[in-house]
Amino acid sequence: MTATDDKLLIDVGSTYFKLATANTIEQHFRDFNRDIFDDLMGKCGDTIDRFDKQDIHICSSANGGLSTLIIGVTNSFSLKYATNIAFNSGINIIDTILYQNIEEYSLPSDLIDVVIIVGGVDSHANLFSSALYRYIEQLNYSNLVFVGSALDAQQMRDNIDNVVVLPNIIDDRLHIVEEHLKEYLTNLYQQDIEGKEDIKHLYDITANQIYSTPFIVNRALPTIEAKFPVADPFILLDIGGATTDIHYSKDLVEDNIVTENEYDRLVFKRLGVYKSKQSLILAAQANEFTYELLTHLKVTENIFHEQSDKATKILMQLAIFLVLCKMSHYRQSYINLKLLAINSIVFTGGITKVLTVEDIESIIVFFYRKILTSDHKPVAILDSDYGIWTLGAKV
Amino acid sequence: MKVVTGVVGNDIHVVANRLIDLSLRARGYEVFNLGVNTHLEEFFDAVVETGAEVLMISSLNGEAEGWGREVPLLKSRYSNLDDVIMMIGGNLVVGSGNTEDIVARYKKYGFDLVCHQMDLNTGLDMLQSLSEERGIA
Repeated sequence: MTATDDKLLIDVGSTYFKLATANTIEQHFRDFNRDIFDDLMGKCGDTIDRFDKQDIHICSSANGGLSTLIIGVTNSFSLKYATNIAFNSGINIIDTILYQNIEEYSLPSDLIDVVIIVGGVDSHANLFSSALYRYIEQLNYSNLVFVGSALDAQQMRDNIDNVVVLPNIIDDRLHIVEEHLKEYLTNLYQQDIEGKEDIKHLYDITANQIYSTPFIVNRALPTIEAKFPVADPFILLDIGGATTDIHYSKDLVEDNIVTENEYDRLVFKRLGVYKSKQSLILAAQANEFTYELLTHLKVTENIFHEQSDKATKILMQLAIFLVLCKMSHYRQSYINLKLLAINSIVFTGGITKVLTVEDIESIIVFFYRKILTSDHKPVAILDSDYGIWTLGAKV
Repeated sequence: MKVVTGVVGNDIHVVANRLIDLSLRARGYEVFNLGVNTHLEEFFDAVVETGAEVLMISSLNGEAEGWGREVPLLKSRYSNLDDVIMMIGGNLVVGSGNTEDIVARYKKYGFDLVCHQMDLNTGLDMLQSLSEERGIA
């Protein structure tokens, strides 16, 4: 999404609206007592009225995204590949079930937007049995898609009502095949927006598909050098109000996933500095290095109970530290990044309004010394005017 | 018959891996080659995803010993791998050792066929014999 003379780009976040024209980027704090559409039109109606519907492009993370449950037969292939595709499609909430242990998992109480079942190459059959169908019968879900072995597709159709069958995401060399599931999930995201009362009216002002913001940010990364002095390999941290997104160069992952993507994404849900503040504090209290970091920042844990600009700043610095920890071998995540190979860390989201490069680099240095026992220091780059997302629709 | 193969651990002996791949295909096997630098869990997971009857692990730099010790525990976490033929070959120790001792050690780890410093075709003949014996060839 690049701002040209005749285009208006809008990002509806969990905390802010951002509007970009050819020359300006506006930001407005959201009024949570108002409908998203009414709030947007109240604050930015004059700007929006200047553009035709076909010239307005919107991305949003405000609807919370889709909740996803993935049932797969192995961690290294089916669950990992489906998780990778879901993250890259802009999905934030992902739970996984290893099929062989399905009877040990408790049933989620909330409605699941989409259940993904995956397993096996196309020449392998009968990977699933009645245990799967019993579990599915008890689930509360809106959509279910099967992306496993073609030989098992008919069995799925016979046992699960309204199952959508797509081509296998694992090919006969055990490599990932992304496009079909990615397109399906991206379209579901659009349907989700159309079905949500407080956001569906956004389609009254645009004639274009509304994408999820992380999907657009991920699409912007190959062109990021046009706007920022970024040295590869790099990661981008989008620490927002509700969640934290990490977009990373594939060069940073030792992994068996072979794709054409240059960049992948993962999300730490409930790790944000506004809506998810309490869970961020809990995560910080559970990390044994937090107290040393607080000392390094010359504060005590009482800062967690304060409501001040200084407390917000400390919380944001903690968020950076926790995210780096989660991506390291110290706290094993879905993937581990080769953090010693990173040359640049790009920061976007709410933290760029509060922290300076010096504030951030002090945390980076602390992390590398304490956790990785290294003097490595990637360069911190701030997207202080929230411009990265505007590059995304150029592709 | 399906075979999952690859080089275990931080071992980049890609030529040996390629030769094994070609030899298996020449003998009519359906090969799923995970390549070099493969973690043990990926081998087992690949067997589950493909329904392979044979897991053939190779190692040239002697790392197999460390990984081999992990096999019984890891395999016990899988519910359906008991009938898989487990085979390992290459240079299975660092330095030198008595082949009989080495074979016995790896069999204890759970491998059915152990081919330490053995000619590839001899090892594949052993696989053929065992497959026939088990009635899966």
